[in-house]
Amino acid sequence: MAVAARPRKSARRQKLEAAIMYPLDWLEERSGLVGGIRYFLFRKVPGDTNWLHTLGSATLTAFLVQLVTGVILAMYYKPEPKTAYASIQHITNDVTLGWLVRGMHKWGASVFIILMFFHMARVFLFGAYKYPRELNWIVGVMLLAIGMLEGFTGYLLPWDQTSYWATVVGINLNGTAPILGPFLAQFLRGGAEIGPDTLARFYSMHMLLIPGAIIGLIGLHLYLVVRLGVSSPPWSREAAGSEWVEEQVTTNGRSGLTRPVARNSWRRNGGDTA
Amino acid sequence: MEPEHGQRPHTPGPTLYPIGFAAGIACVLVGLIVSPTVIAPIGGAIAVVFAFLWARDATAEYRGVPEPVEPERREAPAAATAPAVPAREGETAVPEPAPGERFPRSKFLEGATLGLGGVIGGVVTVPVLGMALGPAFGKQDKRYHHVDLGPLDNFPEGEWRLATFFLDPNQGEVTRRTAYIRNNGALDGEPSLTIISNRCAHLGCPVQPNGPVFDASTKNVNTGGGEQIKLIKMLPAGGFGCPCHGGQYDPEGNRTAGPPVRSLDRYEYSIVNGHLILGKTYSVAHVDGTGKDAVIHKYRLAGPGQHIDGWEQIFYPLQPPH
Amino acid sequence: MSALDERRAQFQKYKHDVKERGKPFYPYAMFHDTVMSLVVVSVIVGLACVWYFTSGENPDTCGGKDSCLLGPRYSAPADPGTTNFVPRPDWYFYFLFYLLRIFKWPDSVILGTVGIPTVLLIIAFGLPFLDTRRERRLLRRPVAVVAAVLVVLSMGVLTYKGAVAKEALASEVKAAVPSWAKREGFANNREAVAGANAFAVSGCTACHTYLGTGGGNLGAPDLSAEGTKGKGVQGLQTYISDPSKFGNTVMPKFASLGQTTLHQIAVFLDASKGPK
Repeated sequence: MAVAARPRKSARRQKLEAAIMYPLDWLEERSGLVGGIRYFLFRKVPGDTNWLHTLGSATLTAFLVQLVTGVILAMYYKPEPKTAYASIQHITNDVTLGWLVRGMHKWGASVFIILMFFHMARVFLFGAYKYPRELNWIVGVMLLAIGMLEGFTGYLLPWDQTSYWATVVGINLNGTAPILGPFLAQFLRGGAEIGPDTLARFYSMHMLLIPGAIIGLIGLHLYLVVRLGVSSPPWSREAAGSEWVEEQVTTNGRSGLTRPVARNSWRRNGGDTA
Repeated sequence: MEPEHGQRPHTPGPTLYPIGFAAGIACVLVGLIVSPTVIAPIGGAIAVVFAFLWARDATAEYRGVPEPVEPERREAPAAATAPAVPAREGETAVPEPAPGERFPRSKFLEGATLGLGGVIGGVVTVPVLGMALGPAFGKQDKRYHHVDLGPLDNFPEGEWRLATFFLDPNQGEVTRRTAYIRNNGALDGEPSLTIISNRCAHLGCPVQPNGPVFDASTKNVNTGGGEQIKLIKMLPAGGFGCPCHGGQYDPEGNRTAGPPVRSLDRYEYSIVNGHLILGKTYSVAHVDGTGKDAVIHKYRLAGPGQHIDGWEQIFYPLQPPH
Repeated sequence: MSALDERRAQFQKYKHDVKERGKPFYPYAMFHDTVMSLVVVSVIVGLACVWYFTSGENPDTCGGKDSCLLGPRYSAPADPGTTNFVPRPDWYFYFLFYLLRIFKWPDSVILGTVGIPTVLLIIAFGLPFLDTRRERRLLRRPVAVVAAVLVVLSMGVLTYKGAVAKEALASEVKAAVPSWAKREGFANNREAVAGANAFAVSGCTACHTYLGTGGGNLGAPDLSAEGTKGKGVQGLQTYISDPSKFGNTVMPKFASLGQTTLHQIAVFLDASKGPK
């Protein structure tokens, strides 16, 4: 790859750069983290990635919004049937910008789930669940299921009519599963009837158990993406890994990108199966 | 073997005396809080004993005490007297135990690590799991089985009442329930009542009466212990209907249309001192007949959506205690 | 070369190509990601603002003083003993909710509650093992494309139908009576208005429809124009009292409502000559 010649740096600039690099080098020598971040940031991805590939990180952003707003909400929310509703009213109507944080959390949940479905559809249509990305797809489906569970447990927390009855029906739905159903329903409820134990249980799951699982799975998901690479769109002519490019190739000298030679050779050679 | 000065001696192997000493000190501190007369002196004694042993051990080389033989050094004399262990192809990475050593250290350490790890994992996980899963098998609160609905005179014969009450007044709102009650008159001298739960047998949605509810006739009854009963006259002429998925029931609670898998649940009841007392809830497969002549096919309480008769009951062989 | 070896070789080629010709994630791809993230956060904030500013502190003002475009801030406090509420899950569960309404027969309930969702989840997990072809181009994956379209369409339809599913909540139907009186023209007829109110709370709209309210169930006819069917007040009264006498064994007998109320309902139905 041709490298453009850089102008020589002034001494002042060199000193400035050295000053900035010093703490980073210090950290790198003792932890290797800086190198890791640099690897993540500057790794190569196929040149033909398009806007559809942003759905994954958009989902991550939505989740991060949920995390942050959730942490703030937890500072004001009281997870006890007698006080939960009042605490939600307090957050929405009295706390400074509480309405905004609560609103972002409420609508962020919907956006998170929609984006997960869109991302899933994109991956499916691109065939990016095929070898070697099968494990990543499975992790993704787990994230989808657990994400919807997160929404279900969070729905109970305001303890208003909608919350309570949606949860009654949801738990009873689980109860209709064969053999283990009744016990699963009892476990979710924390007893034979929905009560304070149910709310506390759902709160613990919503705050600790499920987000922990989501964060762990997202970490695994991202690790696999970095390790296995991002796949090109299936219709791409310059797809990485497609066979025909190997055979007939010239570089255009400037950017180092290979350029296809003959269009019809694409079809003859089978196009992209990378 | 005397250590030579100037040459860095082979330091004595680590002993556990400092740990014993620390344990003794910890015992003293705990004893000061818990039981100054018994535990603290015991802790003091332990600390003193181990302090003595530790000091004696640490000063051994200055007092000229011969060093104890290091375990590692035992290899040399053992190898000199016993035939050398022949090195063969395909031998295990862990060498055979030398004579005098019954059990190679690394194997013991491996086993001990895994074993202890398992024990620690168990000690942490089992109580936690027990706490989380316990309610799945636990009994329903006994307090829930005894709700005083007030004098039986509030339930005129042949009329329906919509009764709202707390299953447990101490827990308050979260235990509020509604039942549809009709006094059927006397059966063999005893009052006969039909008491139907308002939770749909499909998925637990609140069931509405198909008929007028005369809110103007609302009666509030205070039966003590924080229990506030609300009684409203109603007339479910068309039975009951569930707004969630369209389940319909007749006035005896039998399913007439929609997805409910059985009849509405009912409450057991008893009459004590002229008061109507609600008992446990139970599930009903179906009811033949009406009013006081009804034959109720009674089963133990099952959750909504769970079949209790018919072929699909094999899906629900076990019920947690209610 | 076995199929697996071919795939491995192709993957190696892919990695080689990316190394040779790829662009660094930062700033190329990350720029797109950042823009999209900004859009996402803006949408979330926008939704939150609209939701807050179109609703009031009291959930009862919705539909009146506040438009509540995106719903109220909260509904009434939980009342486990209520008889006047229609449970609904969050919108992303509407497709599962509507499945429950499709499986109306008691024996099939378990299919809708756990059967179908479990099967779908198993297929979702097993997808990479069900589809092991290397082909990724859409035009050469007809099964995948058709399946995707079907899934999206069905989930979309189920979600929509779950959203608009209406149920006969007595209090809501009763609130519609004044508009019925206006549209059918019986507002001056006190008996008809009383009859309409009795009609509203007796669960009739669980099966019948009337001027757009209620859910058609079990083949029950629309009653908006019942007065034109020539049954007459007495005929209607007898029918509702005991439909089985006229061969209708599906509809419950409403005799216990009392003849006064039955008469009122009959007057109301007789005055229903169809929407004007």
